[in-house]
Amino acid sequence: MSRAPGRTDRRIAFGLFAGSFALLWATEAAVGFVRDESVYFAAGEQAVRWLHYLLVAPGRAVTDAVTTQAFDFNHEHPVGMKLLFGLSFQLFHQALGLVRPAAGFRLPAFALAACIPAVLHAWGAVLYGRRAGLFAALCFLAVPRHFFHAHLACFDMPVAALWLLVVYAFWRAETDGGWWLWTGLLFGAALATKHNALFLPPVLLPFVVARGLAASRGKAAARALLAQALLVICAALVLLGLLVLVLTPEGFLRSWNLLSPATAVVALLAAALCSLGLRLYRTDVATFRAVAPLGAMALLGPAVLYAVWPWLWYHPVDRFAAYLAFHATHVHYAWTYLGTVLREPPFPLTYVLVVTALTLPVSLLAPMGVGLLSLGLRALAGLRAAWRTRLGASASASEVLVGLNALASIVLISFPDVPHFGGVKHWLPSMPFLALLAGRQVQLAGDALGALLSARLRWFPRAAMTPVLAALVLLPAATLTAHLHPYGTSAYGELAGGVPGAASLGMQRQYWSNNVTGVLGWVNEHAPQGARVWLHEVASFRDYQRNGMLRADLQPAGGPADADVAVVQYHQEFREQEVAVWQAFGTTRPVTGLYIDETPQVVVYQRR
Amino acid sequence: MGFLVVALLALGFQAWLPTALPTDADEAAVADILAHEAQPGDVVLLHPWWTERARLFLPAGLSVTGYLGSEGDALLEYPRIWVLSQPSLPRTPTAAFAQGFLPGRTPLGPERRFGPLVLRLYQNGRARPVRFVASEALPMASAAVELPGGGRAECVHEGTGFRCPGGARVEASWHEVLYRPTRCLFLVPPGGPGAVEVTFEAVPPSAAVRLEAAIIWEHAWKHGSHLTPLHVELADADTGAALAQVTVPPGREGFVVAEAAGGPRRLRLRVQSDNAHEREACIQLRALDAEKGASP
Repeated sequence: MSRAPGRTDRRIAFGLFAGSFALLWATEAAVGFVRDESVYFAAGEQAVRWLHYLLVAPGRAVTDAVTTQAFDFNHEHPVGMKLLFGLSFQLFHQALGLVRPAAGFRLPAFALAACIPAVLHAWGAVLYGRRAGLFAALCFLAVPRHFFHAHLACFDMPVAALWLLVVYAFWRAETDGGWWLWTGLLFGAALATKHNALFLPPVLLPFVVARGLAASRGKAAARALLAQALLVICAALVLLGLLVLVLTPEGFLRSWNLLSPATAVVALLAAALCSLGLRLYRTDVATFRAVAPLGAMALLGPAVLYAVWPWLWYHPVDRFAAYLAFHATHVHYAWTYLGTVLREPPFPLTYVLVVTALTLPVSLLAPMGVGLLSLGLRALAGLRAAWRTRLGASASASEVLVGLNALASIVLISFPDVPHFGGVKHWLPSMPFLALLAGRQVQLAGDALGALLSARLRWFPRAAMTPVLAALVLLPAATLTAHLHPYGTSAYGELAGGVPGAASLGMQRQYWSNNVTGVLGWVNEHAPQGARVWLHEVASFRDYQRNGMLRADLQPAGGPADADVAVVQYHQEFREQEVAVWQAFGTTRPVTGLYIDETPQVVVYQRR
Repeated sequence: MGFLVVALLALGFQAWLPTALPTDADEAAVADILAHEAQPGDVVLLHPWWTERARLFLPAGLSVTGYLGSEGDALLEYPRIWVLSQPSLPRTPTAAFAQGFLPGRTPLGPERRFGPLVLRLYQNGRARPVRFVASEALPMASAAVELPGGGRAECVHEGTGFRCPGGARVEASWHEVLYRPTRCLFLVPPGGPGAVEVTFEAVPPSAAVRLEAAIIWEHAWKHGSHLTPLHVELADADTGAALAQVTVPPGREGFVVAEAAGGPRRLRLRVQSDNAHEREACIQLRALDAEKGASP
């Protein structure tokens, strides 16, 4: 039976996509530039310059020297999204003049972020029902931090969207033809977006094994082909392992080129898997559908990454290894957590759970948490008939897929050695799945409450309760998001006591850079003509001027010593830099600042 | 039903929170009181420590402090403390503040409320009369660096301090020590066995001299074999007799304190670290009398 949503739900999903895209675009202008966003603006423009060159001099543009020069900048992230940012900027700002420069870069990010509510509805409507799907869709973007990150020309929300899309395609592939191919292509897009995608195959592998075994039960020919595929994979791994042993890991990487033994092993493996896949498709379509998504991910994922990232073209192995090594040994930036500045691992095991609980609006945290707990209990209940009877139902494989993906990124970032700076954006891929589970819980609660009320009040329409409950549950979150926009990295939920409560708890006040928009109006009004302005921890001085948010006559200062105006971000780890302003300006009194619910975020000093 | 209750409570919280926040008029009213009633040498202590918006309003000449852990600060140079608190803010750690702040402090009047702001004056029983502050006396001091061969090279006056051979520096400036903004002697040792020395003349008689030394900012947290301890010694400049000595090891955050009997009129401070990299020191050297509290 197909898992495609019905016509009405497809229309609702499209409406959610269009509405989310429009909302993000409409609220974009106030959102400041986070520190890395300016880097991606520049990288996007550089990628487009290379595309121009490709049109003008294709032979030269694809050489090692030119691709290296064009894509070496910010090569710690794949170029997929940066290409889209740059192309969008080129088209919508430079060519058509429809939007300001920043919006030009950000439009592709809006589009991907807008896919999340649409997919959540399409999936949730089939899995749990329309009301659950709709709630899941709305609740995801109602979270202040989600809403904020959805605006940025960065990679965290795009990779969360692509993670969801890959898993959705994987789920659809079990019943619907062609989706196995989409799984592979979307996985390639996810790989070309951010390294989080590398963790998708291990999350999906257990489901492929289970599906493959179930689909091939009693089918000797299909089982034989699966066994052959496994044998081919093992043989290839053994051969590659031997090469590593003989050549040492460094020598192995150094010697891997187009005509090396390792290339031959990988090429033969790919060819053998394609051949076996074709035979499996002809032998038994059900078994093929069960395992084909992972095969497509294994073959198409790296191919897409390689195809869209010219930096890899001439040095695929050593540069990909360098890319992995960069993230495996990433520097640990300081991060404030419960009154302590975390600077190096091991980080607290409960960090991710605590930060999730404190940053989510509590009215959404409750159904997400209950939904996950309920799913866990039902999954356990599935193991024993007696428990199953007691709990009324067990979790389906589809629900377990949702549950594991809800936990995957949270568990991954919880490892004490994984960098913890950056807050919730690093486990965003978990959040759409938690939203799905919340949708189920709110629908169940609405149904139960509706039944209760209609039993006592005959006039009460039973079906009206879920929408009413959903609206009430969404309202505090939407209110909080509206109140804190565009300062989403400062957002804390009611459990924390809001922003001031989080300050007293000793939590990170904000991330880097974007909250400076809160004082740019003052700077524009009060800074003397040609004044030197130090925007502490802001790498976007020129971008603010380019987008008309900062006066063009103002000059960037390198620090308090050469500044007329100093704009300091309040971070626990940067106290010395604010004190340096006191020293340089001869005053401990700021002239203005951005204070959200009383908490200092950005403080402005003026030289006397 | 549970979700409904949680949602209603959340809405209630959001409706209530703005009423717990002070208005500009509340802040201005406090500032007006302090402009009329604060005395020279008073300090305003913020509670919770992060409520620094008050700095926008408070009288310019009045000291204001508030940093993570400031409730435990002796504030020994301030005989009177104005506590400006916002007890109705969510998660305000009232009990922890009282535990750290109240011992040795006596209220000098009733609480006064300005919207959600609460102002109360305390006598600081932990205050000590300050006879001498090295960072203020730096213009009258001299500085020199011990050379590797055993000789000495004088440092040159420059701006608010001295520039010395071998990259050593001495100045009076603001720095952060474990989140606490501190006006102190900022010293950069030359590295190696040599040290930077600062000699203070005409130190007033006092009951004690108090030496507090720390590495500034995040450098204090850093650790590793490439970093070396900072050694700070205080001696009688006339006799050479050691008075106090502290060592700040790598990774030690906050001040390391030593106190000695007062008396010598000339004091010599010596600061050394084998590797000067990231060993910038913030040193408070003060001559103090005994705790006696202060009259209102």
